[in-house]
Amino acid sequence: MIPFDYRRAGDAETAVAAVAGNPGAAFLGGGTNLVDHMKLGVAEPDLLVDVTRLPFDSVDPLPGGGLRIGAGVRNSDLAADERVRTRYPVLAEALLSGASGQLRNLATTGGNLLQRTRCGYFQDVTTPCNKRRPGEGCSAREGYHRYHAILGASPHCVAVHPSDLAVALTALDAVVRVRGPRDGHGERAIPAAELHRLPGEHPEWDTVLGHGDLITAVDLPPLPMAARSRYRKVRDRASYAFALVSVAAAVELTGDVIGDVRIALGGVAHKPWRATLAEAALRGRPPDRAEFRAAAEAELADAQPLRDNRFKVPMARNTIVSVLAGLTGEEPR
Amino acid sequence: MTTSTKSTVTRTDGIGASPRRPDGTAKVRGEFAYSSDLWHEDMLWGATLRSPHPYARITGIDIARALALPGVYAVLTHADVPGVNRYGLEHADQPVLAEDVVRYRGEPVVVVAADHPETARRALERVEVGYEVLDPVTDAESAVAGQGAELHPGGNVVRHVPIRRGDPDAAAEVVVTGRYEVGMQDQAFLGPESGLAVPAEDGGVDLYVATQWLHVDQRQIVAALDLPEDKVRLTLGGVGGAFGGREDLSIQVHACLLALHTGRPVKMVYNREESFYGHVHRHPAVLYYEHGADRDGTLRYVRARIYLDGGAYASSTGAVVGNAATLGVGPYDVPNVSVDCWGAYTNNPPCGAMRGFGAVQAAFAYESQMDRLAAACGLDPVEVRIRNAMAQGTVMPTGQVVDSPAPVEELLRRVRAKPLPPEPSGEPDLRTLPGGVSNTTHGEGVVRGVGYAVGIKNICFSEGFDDYATVRVRLQVVGGEPAATVHTAACEVGQGLVTVLQQIVRSELGVERVTVEPSDTTIGSAGSTSASRQTYVTGGAVREACLRIRDALGALSPAELGDKVLDETVEWRHRPTEELHPETGQGNAHVQYGFAAHRAVVDVDTELGLVKVVALDCAQDVGKAINPQAVLGQIQGGSAQGLGLAVMEEIKTEGGVIRNPSFTDYLIPTVLDMPPMSIDVLELADPHAPYGLRGVGEPPTISSTPAVVAAIRAATGRALTRVPVRPEHITGT
Repeated sequence: MIPFDYRRAGDAETAVAAVAGNPGAAFLGGGTNLVDHMKLGVAEPDLLVDVTRLPFDSVDPLPGGGLRIGAGVRNSDLAADERVRTRYPVLAEALLSGASGQLRNLATTGGNLLQRTRCGYFQDVTTPCNKRRPGEGCSAREGYHRYHAILGASPHCVAVHPSDLAVALTALDAVVRVRGPRDGHGERAIPAAELHRLPGEHPEWDTVLGHGDLITAVDLPPLPMAARSRYRKVRDRASYAFALVSVAAAVELTGDVIGDVRIALGGVAHKPWRATLAEAALRGRPPDRAEFRAAAEAELADAQPLRDNRFKVPMARNTIVSVLAGLTGEEPR
Repeated sequence: MTTSTKSTVTRTDGIGASPRRPDGTAKVRGEFAYSSDLWHEDMLWGATLRSPHPYARITGIDIARALALPGVYAVLTHADVPGVNRYGLEHADQPVLAEDVVRYRGEPVVVVAADHPETARRALERVEVGYEVLDPVTDAESAVAGQGAELHPGGNVVRHVPIRRGDPDAAAEVVVTGRYEVGMQDQAFLGPESGLAVPAEDGGVDLYVATQWLHVDQRQIVAALDLPEDKVRLTLGGVGGAFGGREDLSIQVHACLLALHTGRPVKMVYNREESFYGHVHRHPAVLYYEHGADRDGTLRYVRARIYLDGGAYASSTGAVVGNAATLGVGPYDVPNVSVDCWGAYTNNPPCGAMRGFGAVQAAFAYESQMDRLAAACGLDPVEVRIRNAMAQGTVMPTGQVVDSPAPVEELLRRVRAKPLPPEPSGEPDLRTLPGGVSNTTHGEGVVRGVGYAVGIKNICFSEGFDDYATVRVRLQVVGGEPAATVHTAACEVGQGLVTVLQQIVRSELGVERVTVEPSDTTIGSAGSTSASRQTYVTGGAVREACLRIRDALGALSPAELGDKVLDETVEWRHRPTEELHPETGQGNAHVQYGFAAHRAVVDVDTELGLVKVVALDCAQDVGKAINPQAVLGQIQGGSAQGLGLAVMEEIKTEGGVIRNPSFTDYLIPTVLDMPPMSIDVLELADPHAPYGLRGVGEPPTISSTPAVVAAIRAATGRALTRVPVRPEHITGT
């Protein structure tokens, strides 16, 4: 770990200015990801601006029925919030399936969204990695890539985004509120589905945020269908493991058919993958396994698995089918 | 004792009781002093520069910039090793610090001592090492075949053990063959390698360290430092788990070297990533088996070729090869046997001792074969095993006659007779389903399977090794009360040896107050805390010393000693073993065998490839349960470690580089992955062993893995010839 300065921000404006004014500065939330990366030499900030004391630590109702989640709300607290549990169960389930109890007690909402990939090469500074050092090359493409992307990857990067929370927020059409150096006293709103980006030519950029942009909150829309929502995470052990594949979904039945549906996938791409093709295929269709399977296959038709992660394609398909079947009362059987 | 999780409490807390462990409360409260907690006021911190390449020639080492860093007290290379720059458990083939060549990624090249761990790390970054990268050897089978660079003089075969018994051309009506693979498992002990070396006024050094065998460390340290034995004194630090991973040296010579060089105490602690590079692992294996049998399942012959990847240095590969070969057919009576086992040098991480020590790899293969044989003969898997089960009197493939109870059949019958867990019904508890609380399965596509396995392990050191323990027991009256003290160099690594030694003294001398002194090298060797041997050997030595004290007491009771101190030092050996014949593998190589059987019940989500082990019941013969609670702990822990190898634990290497050196990426079972166990403990005395006891620690690890995999096979119909089994192996994608 290299030496760094530490400053505790008194208000958001100062925090943003402090980071924006120094290219080597970073915001410090729970530190559960950044500090690890500092130890590994993956991140070498020379200034940490602690934002955990900013007044972004509550979950508040929004006019119209939504919820505003402060960026500093800890994962454990958010998962335990009664409104979240009853109106957005997918969100609580996603949070509780992530990391461990100790980590969830520290990790913040904003920090969770901004955690970086668990790609082993990204974390090993002795190996080439375009995300860590653009232009070096991607070691994972031909290397150990069982956990890597099957959708939306580029020749430069096959990493996946590790957050469970982000997958649920993407399915829920949540909106991320950001205060940046050019926003003055105002804030911008970025749909959760657009916060993270595909790697393309620039895998070093995980999100559309610029340097000094501070996430202040996440807004959940009033989405009645989210009361019937679920998160499933397939992984190598029963707790404390990253997703091989995860599915966040919400379904609204209108009569005998699917009126509306939201599906997002985790563990398959550089960003939480909103399954718009599957959603389109399902709207107005009857809720049965054949339909679910056809929709999942439509979404995954363009999947380009790597040598050692082909299993993720049928696993994603089966998980989508299983989640939708559960949500529509098709199971157990 | 059978089917009991309760212990029989005796009033005296002697043999057969489960008294409270002296270290138990401190460990649970987080107050136990592990070796990483060692502290000396003016100490320096050591750190190790390791090779970034699996195989490279060193073209130059420049330490000038590191030395120039304020706060740096020493930067040492191979040129600073005063003695022989080679060490090793069986062969001294590993440099203390690399000279001309590095043979694995993570091999120590330079060590530094500095005033702060951060300064030490910075100093490492300033050392410049020139490397000419060479093509690594990463496949054991081709290494044995002579392909690739010769990594050590004499070639890349560390050891080859052939076993030949009966007719080499035996034929049979039913033949089943298979190729099996075992991944590289890690001991995953929680306490990283650590210790503190304190230079002494006599020119020597005192080392406090977490290890498994103080004297074998001492032997290697004095050779490297070129000091007489009495100048290098070791004391055991608090050990946070071992499982074989602390048999080899890690920080020992480096810390002593730095302490002697700087004249200051030097502490070294590895971090978790460094720990993955800093100790040996379980040998990955490729195993080819052919079983021939009559139509009724009676075995006619077994032929096998086993390749173990020993990595860059020999460590204990030779002995692991001996075990895999001699135990290669399992606990079965086979008239015709031809087994060849090789251990190879490669540029992969060095492999050596881990719980089960060669028997684990062989058991996955031979038990998979027994299931194939059962299927080929249309027999029940338990029936085919019972039909071929060895027993007391059986002649082993080495020609050794088994001369103590070998209740293989009874163990199998016992696990089979246990009630099966209820079929899931109604709204299931998520914790009981594949995927657990992560909510991946609600019961759809879930298939249940049941699998059996039984295994065999040699207890104590084998093949003619002079295996002994030295103990000193004193009895005197202290404060009006008789009290005994026990001094040995035996290492308590968490298994409960200290408690067991106290129990033995209480029972033999009839005193309640028994103090076990810290383990150090001021007394003779007690041998290694490995091969499930300490209760047998050091326990046997303590018993012998107590018997002599009882003789000296004569008609007196301990309370009547007055000012007298009865003091006995004993060096105790188990009966001798023989070397294996180099061409036929014949010989009475083993002292004792241990046996365990498991029945695993799994629920498999066949759509997602997830496994939940619903039950993992065990029966094991321990001869005599000195401490029943500790016995159950060993069986539960060993079974969990076997479950880990079955479904999740593997160090992934790529061209000799470890890809998952953290506990976030190297997965070990959590409490959610491990079912509660029903355990039968048999106590069939071995007439040759103290109290009739049998080593406990390793057998449950051996049969656990193949039982779990057999159950997954039963549920899925998949061949599953490799462990760990991953979701993609179950879904077949």
